[in-house]
Amino acid sequence: MTMMKTLMIATTTALMATSAMAADIFVVGGKPDDPFWSRVKMGAEDAGKVAEAQGGSVTWLGPQNYDNLGPDAAELIRQAIDQGADAIVGPNWVPEAMDSAFEAVVAAGIPLVIYNAGGIEAADRLGALNYVGAVDYKSGYAGGEYLAKAGHTNGACVNTLPGAANIEAFCSGFNDGLAENGGTGSVLQLPATAFGDSTAVAQAVRAHLLQNPDITAMFAIGDQDSNATISGIQQAGKTGSVHVCGMNFNDSILANIKAGTQACAIDQQGYQQGFFAVSILNNHVMYGTTIPTREILTGPGVIDASNVDLVIAGVEAGAR
Amino acid sequence: MSSQNGNGSKGISLGALARRPETGSLIGFIVVYIFFAVLGGPVFLGLPGWSSWLNIAAEVGIIALPVGLLMIAGEFDISVGSIVPAASMMTAMLGGHYDAPAIVAILAGLGVGLTIGLVNGLLVTRTTIPSLIVTIGVMFAVMGLTLGFAVLVKGSTSVSYVPDPLTKSLMGQFVKGFSVSIFWWLGLVAVFFYALHVSPWGNWIFAIGGDKESARNAGIPTSQMTIALFMASGFCAALVGVLQVMTYQQAQVAGGQAFIFNSIMCVVIGGVLLTGGAGSIIGILLGTMTFAVVNQGIFFAGLDPNIQFIITGALLLAAVLSNDRFRAMATSAAAKK
Amino acid sequence: MENFAVLLRRPAAASIVSLIGVLVFYVFAGVELDKLFGAASWVNYAARIGIVALPVGLLMISGEIDISIGAMIPAGAMTTAIISGHYDLPIVFGILGALAIGVLVGSINGILAVRTSVPPLIITLATLVAMQGVVLAGSRLLTGSASVPLNAPDWAKTIFGNLMFGGSHQVIIVWWVILAVIFWFFMHHTKYGNWIYAIGGDKESARNAGIPVNGMTILLYIMTATAASFVGMCHSILFNSAQVSGGMNDIFNIIVSVVVGGVLLTGGFGSVAGIFVGALTFAIVNKGIDFTAIDRNWSNLIIGIMLLLAVGMNEKFRKLALSHVSKKK
Repeated sequence: MTMMKTLMIATTTALMATSAMAADIFVVGGKPDDPFWSRVKMGAEDAGKVAEAQGGSVTWLGPQNYDNLGPDAAELIRQAIDQGADAIVGPNWVPEAMDSAFEAVVAAGIPLVIYNAGGIEAADRLGALNYVGAVDYKSGYAGGEYLAKAGHTNGACVNTLPGAANIEAFCSGFNDGLAENGGTGSVLQLPATAFGDSTAVAQAVRAHLLQNPDITAMFAIGDQDSNATISGIQQAGKTGSVHVCGMNFNDSILANIKAGTQACAIDQQGYQQGFFAVSILNNHVMYGTTIPTREILTGPGVIDASNVDLVIAGVEAGAR
Repeated sequence: MSSQNGNGSKGISLGALARRPETGSLIGFIVVYIFFAVLGGPVFLGLPGWSSWLNIAAEVGIIALPVGLLMIAGEFDISVGSIVPAASMMTAMLGGHYDAPAIVAILAGLGVGLTIGLVNGLLVTRTTIPSLIVTIGVMFAVMGLTLGFAVLVKGSTSVSYVPDPLTKSLMGQFVKGFSVSIFWWLGLVAVFFYALHVSPWGNWIFAIGGDKESARNAGIPTSQMTIALFMASGFCAALVGVLQVMTYQQAQVAGGQAFIFNSIMCVVIGGVLLTGGAGSIIGILLGTMTFAVVNQGIFFAGLDPNIQFIITGALLLAAVLSNDRFRAMATSAAAKK
Repeated sequence: MENFAVLLRRPAAASIVSLIGVLVFYVFAGVELDKLFGAASWVNYAARIGIVALPVGLLMISGEIDISIGAMIPAGAMTTAIISGHYDLPIVFGILGALAIGVLVGSINGILAVRTSVPPLIITLATLVAMQGVVLAGSRLLTGSASVPLNAPDWAKTIFGNLMFGGSHQVIIVWWVILAVIFWFFMHHTKYGNWIYAIGGDKESARNAGIPVNGMTILLYIMTATAASFVGMCHSILFNSAQVSGGMNDIFNIIVSVVVGGVLLTGGFGSVAGIFVGALTFAIVNKGIDFTAIDRNWSNLIIGIMLLLAVGMNEKFRKLALSHVSKKK
């Protein structure tokens, strides 16, 4: 039913849009200086090159900081409507604050793709064309499962952004991944100012490990946090006995995996999220095409010592 | 650490000791330490506990030293929050991306800090705009430049850099869990102690903070001194950035914002209150240590980490409330002489 | 001509020139003005910082500063959400609770500011940090979560947190305009305004002239903290939730917009019209970049440079005004 509805909306908007013959696509995402989001942005802009060749454009809207995440992102979505977007891509980080803004997008007849956070449930609820991204809970679950199956069953998830729904989902997924494979998990909450502060994260991890010597598995919610967590483990003198999986990766994370200091990285392929969300919308606005496959998953993929070499080439291009 | 305290109290009578603002910060440190020792247990009291909070103290402490001197001279530097990532990005970019020798990368990173400090100093001394506003503006500009150039050159907001073993051991190593940055911090404490309490510059700084006009009339080169202080804070913030690259082997565009207020808090807990011409390096040192114990102790104590803000806030309020009493005691004693 | 010169010496003049300068810059950078003026994002943002900037501006004219506002915006939001969302009490209690916490923290700031000789930046830094802790730890202890949902009844949404004109303009814009008029009247047409200028000019002589300096200072601190918690309260009602957050950036943004509005950080100079235009200018600088073709990566650089230029120009204008005043003497 929703399928039909979206298809109908899709066709009508497509008909309306064809007269313009160019798609101005607005992408709402994280801060541009966030390493993960800079790759999403690159994917969106690369896909936007097609739109630009056709006379359209891709505009990135990100908050200045994460202090006021839900409301700020909701504001940016409404701003995209005001700026005359032909199509909008946005993550559903804080549903309470952001749902009404997404509803306004759909009500204005603007094709919408939810990406990165929210899942297909959010896309269906809000009447979006599709969802592109990983499922946060599953990403965390993959980390927990990987570590538990390797025999590291007592874990802690390092949460440096308490309050963000997707980060909470990583941690509950991680703990369930441990629990369903015979382990136990807990959450190490950091104060809200610790995000991006490697020393604060490293020292908190270290203190937590010293105080809880039974912990053998840790989960970090981002690549910078992974590096800091590894440093904390090393400083606690527990390299080799405490194993880390982390969300996302960059070249130093891959070096960690090669060197064996990090067990795995959970890849949600941010570049793909930006690239496919924009491509779907551009083609939709230009030619009225849709992707019948609902819920385009870009992750979770697990990178460990067995496949790390394949990934390195992509990193050097800045795309992975 | 006891040797450090010994340095400060050398040759000072008991009465003078009680009047010194550092006494308050020393009491604060002891109370906080005992509180967390009780909750944190033997792990916190042992070497791992000490290295844990000293590692935190070292980084914020390196920045708190010049920030404290600036506050004694009546100025603020908000831009340190953007210098830390800018310097680490410059170092990682040259050393990691362009494969320049480590020494070149490090000097370039530190040069970033000195340059930004020079810009701050010139803007503050050449215009009548308050330093708070100047450095907020410079902070935004540097944040933008760092991000823009990182993406332009590297196409990414994080750059990794694996330093050679010698550099790593000098700037990014851990010795039994103690970061080498602690030694850099203590070295700088000695330098700043000399500058503020032994060399003539110290009196100049106190004089500028007391009354800038009469300081200038007394022949003190206030502008040069102010510029030098801003360059010192830029340099120290850049040093922290470089140390972070060497430790974590990667540089990020974001981050560093926490240092802005954390460094000011260390200074205030340490008894420097911007009331013009008061404060000491030992006070800043103690303030930094107290701040770090609260910061790390919370994880050993197993309390909700956000409670650290309440404790820090209470410490700051205590420092604020005790300030007048210490000042009154100090001035009355001085008047008697 | 003389009239024009008088106009130029008004504290608001520099901020209006900054506003025009920003618009000209953005037009050259490819902003279509009709699209910009039709958009709600920057007006909403201007209202958010503008409501707090009004009392902060008056406080700065009186020679003080308040950075605890950074923690008070999330504190107001959290208080409302905890009382009326988590505990399901009527929204009136949530609203009153948010305002009460503003009055409480403002009183603490004010009393400490008049009773001690410690600079207000340090005093409010202490309450900033303490309030951050209270809000963050409090929400976790009381609700077990860092994000609290809230469903406000329709009447409360209409008054405090709704969208207007069927578009995306928030109702707090109306609050901002009304408050600006009230503050303008208070500052420029009552004796209290003159008191504030006198306090900012010279506290001692103001006291000798019989002005209740302490009472006035405490009142101003209460206004800043309450305005901040009011904005937080409106946001939680509009966005149906409150999340814990540091709020550090609001501090810089609000102080900067007040200074761009022509207020002298050391006190004694400024106007409500200038503060109003300052918030507008800052909002356009901040949000306008989204309307250009400039890569977002450079946005902070542009904000920083525009800020320094605006402040530098304010200084020039102020010198012009002050030299004129001193000539008259």
